[in-house]
Amino acid sequence: MDRRTVLKGLAGAGGLALTGISAPALSQGASARTLRFVPQANLANFDPIWGTQYVVRNAAALVWDTLYGIDSTLTPQRQMVESEQVSDDGTIWTFKLRPGLKFHDGEPVLSKDVVASLTRWAARDPMGLMLKGLQQELTAVDDRTFKWVLKQPFPKMLYALGKNNSPCAFIMPERIAQTDPFKQIGEYVGSGPMKFAKGEWVPGAKAVFEKFADYVPRQEKASWLAGGKQILVDRVEWIVMPDAATAAAALQNGEVDWWESPIADLVPVLKKNKNISVDIGDPLGNIGSFRMNFLYPPFNDVRARRAVLMAMNQEDYMRAIVGDDNSLWKPLPGFFTPDTPLYSEMGGDILKGKRNLDAAKKLLAESGYSGQPVTCLVAQDQPITKAQGDVTADLLKQLGMNVDFVATDWGTVGSRRAAKTPPGQGGWNMFHTWHAGADCTNPAPYTAIRANGDKAWFGWPNSPATEKEVTSWFEAKNIDEEKAAIGRLNKAAMDDVVYAPTGFFLSYTAWRKNISGIAKGPLPFFWGVSKSA
Amino acid sequence: MLSYILRRIVATLPVMAIVALFVFSLLYIAPGDPAVVIAGDQASPEDVERIRQGLGLDRPFLIQFGSWVWRILHGDLGTSIFTNLPVSTMIGQRLGPTLSLMIITLLLTIVIAVPLGVVAAWKAGSLIDRAIMGFAVFGFSLPVFVVGYVLAYVFALELEWLPVQGYTPLTEGLWPWLQNLILPSIALGCVYIALIARITRATMLEVLQQDYIRTARAKGLGQGGILFIHALKNAAVPIVTVIGIGIALLIGGAVVTESVFAIPGLGRLTIDAILRRDYPVIQGIVLLFSFVYVLVNLMIDVIYTLVDPRIRY
Repeated sequence: MDRRTVLKGLAGAGGLALTGISAPALSQGASARTLRFVPQANLANFDPIWGTQYVVRNAAALVWDTLYGIDSTLTPQRQMVESEQVSDDGTIWTFKLRPGLKFHDGEPVLSKDVVASLTRWAARDPMGLMLKGLQQELTAVDDRTFKWVLKQPFPKMLYALGKNNSPCAFIMPERIAQTDPFKQIGEYVGSGPMKFAKGEWVPGAKAVFEKFADYVPRQEKASWLAGGKQILVDRVEWIVMPDAATAAAALQNGEVDWWESPIADLVPVLKKNKNISVDIGDPLGNIGSFRMNFLYPPFNDVRARRAVLMAMNQEDYMRAIVGDDNSLWKPLPGFFTPDTPLYSEMGGDILKGKRNLDAAKKLLAESGYSGQPVTCLVAQDQPITKAQGDVTADLLKQLGMNVDFVATDWGTVGSRRAAKTPPGQGGWNMFHTWHAGADCTNPAPYTAIRANGDKAWFGWPNSPATEKEVTSWFEAKNIDEEKAAIGRLNKAAMDDVVYAPTGFFLSYTAWRKNISGIAKGPLPFFWGVSKSA
Repeated sequence: MLSYILRRIVATLPVMAIVALFVFSLLYIAPGDPAVVIAGDQASPEDVERIRQGLGLDRPFLIQFGSWVWRILHGDLGTSIFTNLPVSTMIGQRLGPTLSLMIITLLLTIVIAVPLGVVAAWKAGSLIDRAIMGFAVFGFSLPVFVVGYVLAYVFALELEWLPVQGYTPLTEGLWPWLQNLILPSIALGCVYIALIARITRATMLEVLQQDYIRTARAKGLGQGGILFIHALKNAAVPIVTVIGIGIALLIGGAVVTESVFAIPGLGRLTIDAILRRDYPVIQGIVLLFSFVYVLVNLMIDVIYTLVDPRIRY
């Protein structure tokens, strides 16, 4: 019996015991104006430009506002901006801020703050870097107007300013935004709907946000990062719980109100509790993946990479991650997020249908593989990578490969995957990870799909055909051109096996039934969420 | 005695220095990179390198070690790589919950384990003795997290007497403070109670065979007086030693207990810091724990003189 079995059994017993019990628990007498939330991870730092972890972005979205915000249709909508103008040649963008915007310290939001914030953001964000490369000047015209002059058109400007991928283009006061983008800020003043209570911050345990009385929400209905961000509680407390069973028990007991990411094992227990609602949290989900190192044999040969693709069964990976719940996964014969406008399966046939191990073995032999060790990095402290790693190890063995299974922690994988040395000298052949579906809706934030060799993400895939189509997408002038470019890109990336997608999977979120207004989305949105006693 | 204590305190300095060098070296050669964690999954190697430079992690070992030691000598434990908060502040935030947990656990342990051990020795070979020793084996065998989950299920979820998780400072009232600590202390104390009970029994059995105990009995002294005044006092040295050693056990167990009961203590801070490679925090905590161990050993040595007048320094 392992720890996970014990906790599942006990949490299950707790759930059964509580079914039908509506009496409040000891700590439930807390004010209905305080929302107690269990985040997916610890808020260990709070600079959304310096540290790009999703938990930081999620918290930052409460404190800092953006010029534009992506809505649930993935369309950028005005947020801090009142209006924008673009010159006929597409090179001069002039933006005007909404009146009455204020920072939490009472100071008005001015164009100079925006310019400093965009400058810092552009030094860290992939789209920002592209803009920086095209930039002629970024200047404040007056207190509410600023201008971005480019050397050539950049059709994805509004998307860049409103995207929900980390780092988002959050607006900070000039004095804070002037911090070196590679150093951490120490002051957390924004103009978003909530203020950060720095004095109550216990990293690793608790973070507190208080309603900002002077925030002026937009009049439109809220939709993801766009629209009126109406805060309906006085306080949001983030309570970090490292143990899933404890979080489940605390939710059942009414000690917390909302658990962002319950693990799949405990979801049946939560579903049985009549005081708890459970639903898919982020419809954009996640894409599982493993990357093969293009620099060294055997995966420097496309035939070896394709052999692995031919043999792998995505269902094995997905079941290892999400268990038996079929509503939580789907096969993914492509690289882009399913059910989004640019989704494509072009070139994905290699991942469809019955798996052909014999053909895969033959192709692997043709690649010249002769039994050398394949160093496979697997982080054991991340359930998703561990599950995938176990499946891959079995797959490689079935293919007749000599697996050097390196069981380690995520910190070590993060460090070792950057090594370009040969596998036997500190390098690697494969590592496992996953990508937020929100990052895989188009090529702009999708670092993992880039295949520009040395400049590409770890594994350093080199596929000129893929890169050509990335450029085509950036230059596309309408959605049809974008779709066509993505179809070709998907095929090229699949042909060259830029990486191996292991499937698309979703996860749940759970909350007490006295909480209402929780929206599905790529991050937990607190606007519109209310709590009754 | 005072000069002995002073000498011992001075003697801790080289120990601390060796610990500091050892921990710093170990972290320096350990795999993993905080800059990678900070930069996030999408970051380019160049970004990671810039962050590493910003944190000063690209500097040579001796320079990093030298500047760290210099800061320590000035009473500065440094700043967390991740939170940008002083390490002393972070330790200060977490010290209260861990200290509370350890104090309650220690009290609980001594109050339960020592009488159990004494009674077991007194009734050696009887059903009571076997029951107590059976309980001790049970306590030893159960992992802290299993005891924790069972307690949380029964007393928090089922009976709704106590909260599942969290910590309330003593400043907010005695009962709110205690109610968050009762279950974790029992969970953490189980192994410790079993250990002390067994040691107490074994030591007491030996002492109870001594001539002076027989003399005490012959003088007509009551059983309570014989057990708790004459025998226990003479059996106290090994018991005190084990209690002291057990504090190390408590610190280790606190890591799991704090995770299971979501107590924001030093145990969780340690784990978080290790997983993220937050070097200044790890170094600060290890130094603190080393100091605590040294201090506990010193206290035990002093207590020896109180329970056994023959011991003099």
